[in-house]
Amino acid sequence: MNHVNTASLVVVIILFVVVTGVGFAAARWRRAEEMMHLDEWGLGGRGFGTFVTWFLLGGDLYTAYTFIAVPALVYGTGAAGFYALSYTIMVFPIVLVFAPRLWSIARVHGYVTPADFVKGRYGSRGLSVAVALTGILATMPYIALQLVGIQAVLTVLGLGGTGSNGFVRDLPLLIAFLVLAFYTYISGLRAPALIAFVKDGLVYVMVIVAVIYIPTRLGGWGHIFSTASNHLAATNPKTKKPFGSLIVMPAGEWAYATLALGSALALFMYPHSITGVFAAKRRDVIRRNMAMLPLYSLVLGFIALLGYMALATPAVRAGVKAADGNAQLSVPLLFENMFPSWFAGIGYSAIVIGALVPASIMSIAAANLFTRNIYRDIFAPGASSRQQTRVAQFVSLIVKAGALVFVFALSKQFSINLQLLGGVWILQTFPAIVAGLYTRWFHRWALLIGWAAAMIYGTVQVYRVPTPGVPGSHWGGSSAPVFGHVIYIAIAAFVLNVVVAAVLTVVFRLLHLPEGTDETLPHQYTADPEFVVREPATAVTAAGGTGRP
Amino acid sequence: MVQPQRRAVHPRNAVIAGVLLLVAVIGAFWVPIYARSAPKLGDFPFFYWFQLIWMPVVMVLCYLAYLLLRTPRTERASGGQRLGESGEAR
Repeated sequence: MNHVNTASLVVVIILFVVVTGVGFAAARWRRAEEMMHLDEWGLGGRGFGTFVTWFLLGGDLYTAYTFIAVPALVYGTGAAGFYALSYTIMVFPIVLVFAPRLWSIARVHGYVTPADFVKGRYGSRGLSVAVALTGILATMPYIALQLVGIQAVLTVLGLGGTGSNGFVRDLPLLIAFLVLAFYTYISGLRAPALIAFVKDGLVYVMVIVAVIYIPTRLGGWGHIFSTASNHLAATNPKTKKPFGSLIVMPAGEWAYATLALGSALALFMYPHSITGVFAAKRRDVIRRNMAMLPLYSLVLGFIALLGYMALATPAVRAGVKAADGNAQLSVPLLFENMFPSWFAGIGYSAIVIGALVPASIMSIAAANLFTRNIYRDIFAPGASSRQQTRVAQFVSLIVKAGALVFVFALSKQFSINLQLLGGVWILQTFPAIVAGLYTRWFHRWALLIGWAAAMIYGTVQVYRVPTPGVPGSHWGGSSAPVFGHVIYIAIAAFVLNVVVAAVLTVVFRLLHLPEGTDETLPHQYTADPEFVVREPATAVTAAGGTGRP
Repeated sequence: MVQPQRRAVHPRNAVIAGVLLLVAVIGAFWVPIYARSAPKLGDFPFFYWFQLIWMPVVMVLCYLAYLLLRTPRTERASGGQRLGESGEAR
């Protein structure tokens, strides 16, 4: 894997150039008269229908982490890694319930971020800043992990990984990211929305071919499962226990279920997911998409199975071993060994472009949060739409630079730890956002204190998890024993969060602490300004306060 | 002022939709249902084929919930007044 495979590389470069062209051309797609508005740059004009939203959300939610880390986990631990499938089964029925309300209230009031909603609902800047900071903090390492995914592909391609000069080694990654930063700056959300079509097409082709073709090369599924099972049953020299199992063991059931549930509840709290929702044109688009998006989850299921195919391929096992046991290389190595090099290039491109799309949306979402809830709310209350857009464009560059720092300056392990923490953290914004969609019962300060308690508890718990087989080490995982069962720490913190918020709400009510003003009205949670009762179309704009001309 | 634009969802429909979605979630959350290797489907242990098949089932359940929660629309705003349209609409 130290030589550069020309055919694969050429395919990857051609597709990267195509995608770059699409990214810049996207600035002209569905062009509005006034582009210097956050609704345009940051939400693509809030005009995406069912079809575009399906591609956008699919391209947004299924990241390089899905293509690289999930199969790597399956490669390393077996069935436990399949929680990702269970998680993406649960997420859509759950989100179908509350996302339309969030969309409606955001559309009526012109909210661009979830923190905008929290501020409007609770009249609490403290709570909205907490939500915004949590979102930015959870998003940065997530972007960094997209880079780690691209790095895995580049390593197998023969670029980087083994070079002696750090700068030359990372140059391809740097260039890819610089190009991404430019078209995101210019085109805003339109760029990833349009590129998502290319990405999703490549991913579907890659998965369908892999699932049909690779098993024929490996002697069928029966052989794949039995070989994987044998390798998982071998004793791990570090822990003196088996690496994993083909079926989840009873002791692992709670961890599996809570990891899946916690991740499902957290997914649509991530700023980039909510950005995808807010960009939809109509309320109906959201629910219809929740019924159609599981198609991607099916693809994810098969991508996870690539981990077993990798485990059943001796050349991949040798390659992973040669790279100090870096299982993240397993899928790229599988492609290298199974496919003709030009098609391996298609597979690599699917992963690289699959990482660029979410990285772009994440940086936009984080930039929106910073601009609306920190820059505008704290430093420049009178900022015009134009100023806000300028700031957001600029911040999207900073966010990406920050992600690069994560990968280059800090250890890769550090970004993965932060990503673990990100999942634990982002779930703690759930009570303020989702409960807020239904009730004003919770007191704003109780929610803030519940959030803070859960953030501290979750961080400390994750810190205390040792790496398997290394007593006394830290940040070894995201599950820990609570009341006798090993469960996902995010869920434990979430329960603490809700309990603290509920108890303090009762206390604060008794003390008659000020509740804050609620600028929302009950019927606005089911509204769709697209369908109005005649006359009020202009009034809707005014009441919505979208600040449009 | 924005008018309430839709009739409310019938409570019965909301309950049915809720039950369908709950079934969808529990099918994945209740791990002991599928944490077993038999019966196999082809070469796939139950653990794998159940989850892969549950996915399309969830798609159907979500679609039914979408139909149940959809409310009859009131009049659609004329094209020139649409908020969602970009550019020329304003």
